[in-house]
Amino acid sequence: MTHELDLTLQRVIRAPRETVWRAWTDPDRLARWWLPAPAVARIDRLELVPGGAFVTRMSEDGAGFVPHIDGVFLAVDAGTRIVFTNALDSTWRPARPEPVAMTAEVTFADHPDGTDYRVRVRHGDAADRARHEELGFLDGWGSVTAALADLAEAEAGP
Amino acid sequence: MAKYAAVAEVDGVFGALADPTRRAVVQRLGAGPASVSELAGAFPMTLPSFMKHVRTLETSGVIRTRKTGRVRTCELDRGRLALVAGWLDEQRRIWEGRTDRLERFVADEIEEQ
Repeated sequence: MTHELDLTLQRVIRAPRETVWRAWTDPDRLARWWLPAPAVARIDRLELVPGGAFVTRMSEDGAGFVPHIDGVFLAVDAGTRIVFTNALDSTWRPARPEPVAMTAEVTFADHPDGTDYRVRVRHGDAADRARHEELGFLDGWGSVTAALADLAEAEAGP
Repeated sequence: MAKYAAVAEVDGVFGALADPTRRAVVQRLGAGPASVSELAGAFPMTLPSFMKHVRTLETSGVIRTRKTGRVRTCELDRGRLALVAGWLDEQRRIWEGRTDRLERFVADEIEEQ
């Protein structure tokens, strides 16, 4: 059941599943691909158990580091699945992360050419919820876009 | 940071659309440009009140207006409306990029072995 706010991507990575899994779960390896160069990532906490902390920092120049992700793992199935969210911070406190709250589900499966790698990101609203409810007829960003398109395309009244 | 400017802009669009009169104006303009007086005729309010709504829409960038002689014409800015979809594209780019880098990382690792 995908929602219009979900983002899904699928890629066949030409490497054995264990290799891809290790690239994700070993902090030193993760740090090397997590952010685009020249930004540098630091993996402060990578506790791969449900409820475990996921904390990363980033630096534009390798000198000053600022917070990046402060979340928790919701599910970790060895070799096959990692789920984390930033809607709770690493101390399990409800958070309102910028720019958007999300739950990311990453799955790893064997594929004849390597690994069937899939990501599904469930999003919350980037907008202020109160404002969102104020909008009434709009329910989530995806439908906002749809509604706006309808509005814009709609013929004026009869 | 540009990211936050974008969020503020999106918020402006939401604010502008958080009112039934303004949404009705947007809906009407979806069918093509119209003058303020033409638009105002459809709403049971004074012209100054209506103008306030027009200004809100204009400030948020949802509509553009131009004055020709004594007639002010309003037009929808579809690009601005598309902004609300923009953040999702941005998230997609982040995850696509992340997957590209993971792919390169494991390819290099395999090569080194």
